[in-house]
Amino acid sequence: MRLSFDEQTEAFRREFVAWLDENAPDPATALAERSRSSADIPAWAREWQRKMFDAGWLVPGNPPEHGGRNASLVEVFVHQEELGRRHIYPSHNPQGLTIIAPSILVFGTEEQKRRWAVPVLRAEITAALGMSEPDAGSDLAGLRTRAVLDGDRFVVNGQKVWTSGAHDADVILAFVRTDPDAPKHKGISCLVIPTDSPGLTRRPFGSIVSPDDLDFNEVFFDDVEVPAENLIGQLHQGWRVATGSLGHERAMLWLSFAERLDALVEHGGDTLTARGLTDDPLVLDSFGNLVVDDYALRLLGYRTLAQARRGVEATEQSILKLLGSEAVQAATLDMLEAMGPDGLDPDRRSAPLDPLHSEVFTASWWERYLRSFAGTIAGGTSQIQRNIIAERVLGLPR
Amino acid sequence: MDFELDDEQLELQRVVRDIVGRECPPALVRAVVDGSDDGSGLWKTFVQLDWPTLTVPGDDGGMGMSAVELVITLEELGRVADPTPFLATTSQYVPVVRACAHGGLRTELLGAVCAGRTGAVAFAADAVRARRDGGGWVLDGSAAHVIDGDRADELAVVARTDQGIGVFVVPAGVAAAARTPTFDAAFHVADIELGGVHVGEDRGFVGPEVEDGVARARQEAVTGLAAVTVGASQRVLEMVLGHIKDRKQFGVPIGSFQAVKHMAVDMYVAIERARALCHFAALTIAEDDPRRALGASLAKAAAGDCQRLVARHGVQLFGGLGFTWENDLQIYLRRAKVGEPLLGSTAEHRAGAARLVLAHQHPTEAA
Repeated sequence: MRLSFDEQTEAFRREFVAWLDENAPDPATALAERSRSSADIPAWAREWQRKMFDAGWLVPGNPPEHGGRNASLVEVFVHQEELGRRHIYPSHNPQGLTIIAPSILVFGTEEQKRRWAVPVLRAEITAALGMSEPDAGSDLAGLRTRAVLDGDRFVVNGQKVWTSGAHDADVILAFVRTDPDAPKHKGISCLVIPTDSPGLTRRPFGSIVSPDDLDFNEVFFDDVEVPAENLIGQLHQGWRVATGSLGHERAMLWLSFAERLDALVEHGGDTLTARGLTDDPLVLDSFGNLVVDDYALRLLGYRTLAQARRGVEATEQSILKLLGSEAVQAATLDMLEAMGPDGLDPDRRSAPLDPLHSEVFTASWWERYLRSFAGTIAGGTSQIQRNIIAERVLGLPR
Repeated sequence: MDFELDDEQLELQRVVRDIVGRECPPALVRAVVDGSDDGSGLWKTFVQLDWPTLTVPGDDGGMGMSAVELVITLEELGRVADPTPFLATTSQYVPVVRACAHGGLRTELLGAVCAGRTGAVAFAADAVRARRDGGGWVLDGSAAHVIDGDRADELAVVARTDQGIGVFVVPAGVAAAARTPTFDAAFHVADIELGGVHVGEDRGFVGPEVEDGVARARQEAVTGLAAVTVGASQRVLEMVLGHIKDRKQFGVPIGSFQAVKHMAVDMYVAIERARALCHFAALTIAEDDPRRALGASLAKAAAGDCQRLVARHGVQLFGGLGFTWENDLQIYLRRAKVGEPLLGSTAEHRAGAARLVLAHQHPTEAA
């Protein structure tokens, strides 16, 4: 046990930090053009993502041809940590970067990697993730969007929902039912579906934040023809891709919660200091609780990192997601209430805008509170996480 | 950052768990509670194993280990509701002597620990004053809620002097100590009357380095108490898991019900959260990291949250079967809760952690 990383890791950190100092985008340019959804990458951000890719700093764990430098797990972590610390978003198409491209890199053919994974990483195209359906949320394997293989193409019919950024995305990585007679986990396949395919309709809808907050989509498939070569992984083996994809999502999730908690300490602490509330006993209690959660999450995350490094399969992603998402929610609510009547204004930012990051991270306390439910719902609800921990970690009967 | 116990630490944890599992069963704790055993046999076992010297430096005859090993050990002792003065001796007295005493007395006192003598600390700078008196010191005031203050061989009193905080080491029997009742009868807490107690010149230590040493020793004490809380909470969870896997109602184990599962998971997460912070606090002490004050408060605050939830859910999940004297749950429940108000409450440490972090914030707010 020790508090510091080894010298090799710190040297890696210094190299990345020096590169960031030299190459990070101009905040003024970034302020002029903002992203409007999670698959809308402004021109400056495309250039930025491409620059990171070319320098091997976009996904350092990847080989150079996929935007990396074959970095170790701990180095990948340090890279994420520095981006978080500096409030820099590596990609304004986060699902593309962290779920879709890695899924294709793991399960796709060389041709599929060339056609979709690399362009997503280089910000030449954007991608959305088509998983949830109106009747398949927590029970994802119950999805019903149907794809029938007919010669050299699939014909897709059905509906996806909660598809973030679909209206701005070039392709959707969609999970579809290809064998309705098989047990539910065994009849699913994974397809890359271009969003300009005839018969595909996207309908963005407002989130709980605002009718104008358009990121979620309903996506309707009406006899959409998809070339058979767009099948990722094997036919009927899509569940493996799905769990792999969620695995990617879960593995990165704890760090995103740790960054949110760090930001809450920073933005919350600044706000409380500015408002002269730092001697209020209730504020000290809730802020102290946030600090405990922030440190605990990071420490538990470090432990899973050490386990992963030793090749031990981490059973703790669910714990980190549960603890992190609920801590963010509690602390955000505490801050909203600490604001008093000033918390009523939904346009009053909680912190100065970070030009190189997504705007939602400095939105009003009210908006941040609402968005905290994304953490406790998406990617497996807190209740599902508790079931997973109870059964897989504590050994309780199903 | 390497936040895993290394092989030697894991081995220590395994060895301690094995030994205390054997040597300190619930029956022993019950015997101590009903007065038919005084726990001295268990203490002798610990002394034979050199455990009380865990953090006594090697040059002074001890094992020379760090606060991390101490916390690992204390967690296991909390898990069995250890009835000996191990906590006070190792996490309070030894750190105070190590950090504040010097010269021949330091060697003598640490040597005595190696020989099996026990110690306690009255952190009583707010309540006890020490004045010069001829060649020595005289104390005035009384110290409340001193862990093992009634039975330790030596008592280190932290008192205020004209030259700042001082430490005065008083042998047992010199000050009037009265054990106070607690709901955990295997855990000793005492009030000590120190008015008029004379302390020889060689047994008093004052000066800026003593004040700093006391602060550092207190961080170790706070972390040690948090570790005991985590260990006892862990025992409660283990008992609860056994119960809800076995106990059937409506034809199925009650642990298959989601309402029950989710409570057990919340207990587990609370324990993991607190344990991580205990290890962090110990690590900041071991590496003398500037975050050690913050670390200790985070550990105590998280341990307080942990025992609160674990005790509430633990009793609830056992149902009527846990609501008996016969069920061992009550032993560990008591140990989990006894440390909460001592050496600073959960709320005080939470606020303390908040203050330490807020002191570094900037007074800016978005328009």
